[in-house]
Parts: sequence; C-alpha cells; structure tokens
Amino acid sequence: MNKTKSVIIGSGRLGASIATKLSNLGHDVLIIDKEITSFRKLDETFSGYDVIGDATDLTVLENDGLIKEANEVIITTDNDNVNLFIADICYYIYDVPNIYVRFSDIDKGKLVENTTIKTIYPFILSIQDFMKQREKRDEL
Amino acid sequence: MKIVIANGTHEADFMIKKFKKDKHKLIVINPNKEFGQYISSNNKVPVICADPTKAYTFDDANANQADVLIALSENDIDNYATCVIAKKLFNIKRTVSVVRNPKRVDLFKQLGVDSVISSTYLLGESIKNESIIDEFIQTISIENDKIVITELIVDENYEITGKTLKNANIPKSINISCIFRDPEVIIPDGDTEINAGDKLVIVCKNEQHDEMIEFIQKEKVKTNES
Repeated sequence: MNKTKSVIIGSGRLGASIATKLSNLGHDVLIIDKEITSFRKLDETFSGYDVIGDATDLTVLENDGLIKEANEVIITTDNDNVNLFIADICYYIYDVPNIYVRFSDIDKGKLVENTTIKTIYPFILSIQDFMKQREKRDEL
Repeated sequence: MKIVIANGTHEADFMIKKFKKDKHKLIVINPNKEFGQYISSNNKVPVICADPTKAYTFDDANANQADVLIALSENDIDNYATCVIAKKLFNIKRTVSVVRNPKRVDLFKQLGVDSVISSTYLLGESIKNESIIDEFIQTISIENDKIVITELIVDENYEITGKTLKNANIPKSINISCIFRDPEVIIPDGDTEINAGDKLVIVCKNEQHDEMIEFIQKEKVKTNES
C-alpha cells in the first residue's frame, strides 16, 4: 500500500528543499520531523507525505514498513549525533541501499568509513565554493 | 585498567570514587564546567571539560587504547556517538552506555555497544524476578553465602513429582533435607515420594543454586495425552 521510496529525515532548510526537489522529479517522498512547524519550509509544489515523529524511535521508522521499503534515506537533522545514529540504524539494521547523511563535524565522517553511507559536509562545500569564487576573481 | 568516564553527574561521581579506590587509571570527560570542577576537587582527579561526542576530545584526553569507556549522558544518542567514537577511532576495548529509553537496550547492542544499561529495564527485570521468587522460592544463605537453604513448592508438572527420592536421579550436590507436607514435617529417606504441593527444604552450595532450581523445576516431558 505504502510505496515510499525516498525518506528524508529532518525538515530543515536542506531537508525540505531536497524533499521538494525529489517530489518535483516525480519520486515518492516522505519527510519526517519532530516539529510540525518545520514542514512550513516545504514548497507548495511538494506532493509527498509528511510525518511528525522522532526518527530515533524505531516505531516511527517502522511504521507502515516505511524504512523497509525505502531505497534511499537522506538524513539532515541539525544534530550530528542524531544523524550518525539514524544512519547506522538504516545501514546495520534495515539494510537501506542508499544512505546520505549530513555532518557539520568532519570527524563524524570517519565513523561511517567502510560502509556505503555517503556523507555531505556543508563545511567542505563552503570551502570549495569560496576557493572557486576566489579563482574566478583572480582570472579577471 | 584505563577507564574513561564520559558525561554523567552523581553516578559519575560515585563511579569515580569506586574506581579510584580500586586503583584504576581514570580519564574523566565532562562538558559541564561547574560539575567538572566539583568532581575534580571532590575526587582529586583531572577532568577534561569538553564534549565527549567529539573525536578531538578523545585526542586531548589521551584516551586511546583505554580498556573501558562508560557513557553516562542523559541523552541516549550522545552516548551512542561517544561509544562509536571510542570504539572505531580510539580502539577502546569495551564500551558501556546507559540509556534512558529501555527500548534502546537491544538496539544499541545490535549496533555494537558492548554493554547497555537502562535503569528502567533493570528495574523491570528485577521486579519480574522478585515476583517469581516470592511465588516459589525463599532462600537464605549461611556461612558467608557459601551454603544456601531454599524452599521450593513442588508443582504437579515437575518431572520429580510422584517419584521417590532414590528414583528421582537427584544430583549428589543437592540435598533435600526436609519436606513440609501440611501438617506433617518429613525427614525424607530414599523411599519418600515427592508429591505435588510439597514444600521442599533444600541445602546446596551457593554456586549450585541455579542448577538446583533448574533441576527441581524441570517439567515433565509432555506426552501425547489429549
């Protein structure tokens, strides 16, 4: 019945934007956040599901077979430890094939080395962007 | 042993006192400055005032290769992160975490935390045990716990029910010293039969106590009576 394919955890600016993008691309999207007000950040064009709940609670993840049927999970809460914990649950307990996790602290990435969990570091992206812009300036 | 104690308040204080008495090498990490100072001056141990869910804190604390790490935060998820960092990045041999949410005990274990302790879980288990004990078993121990005397009520489903002592294959280590069969008190010999409802008074060594209970309470193999 429930054919969710992409699960996004944390409806902050990043989570909500990814949810909207994937939804617009025609994917089945479900987004989880513990605060109902967070879903305001979803765009009007978002046509997926939103679920209020604490994703560190297995009963929330298992509800309606949610996590078992997901083929990708994107974890973007504002707490690195929570992100690590959920990523490990998705990887070790539920065998989710594609897991993306955001970390502010680069050291946390070392904890998911040797797994298929993929990491996103806003810090590194900012540096790269800065260096690129700086290069452009020098070219002028 | 080299022991790392991460986070915690009064339970941390208690453990530090205990481990210090046993001459273990302690590394104490606590992000709360005031409490850190209190523990430090109270126990005369250095306290690293930093966040134990950050890898650099472990570096600063020189916690590499410690024997045990105990994570005592009130936040379960922080404890998880602390244990994973300890294990994966600093080769700490054994990780112990407390959890608030008893449902996380098994989950944390599945994710690789070596011991997970939930006071709610323990409380539940101990209440469960005590109610069983109250129902069937009363035990007293003498000689510094070396000998235990146990009262057990025989159920009709037990394998020994209806057998004489000599036919019940009772291990040598178990001594059924007395049988209360209201209103009688029987000092049994080999020909005494064990009946349902009997209260057995059993003497055994402390280390054989569990074995003894298992033996007495072993149930009859079910036959195909309908």
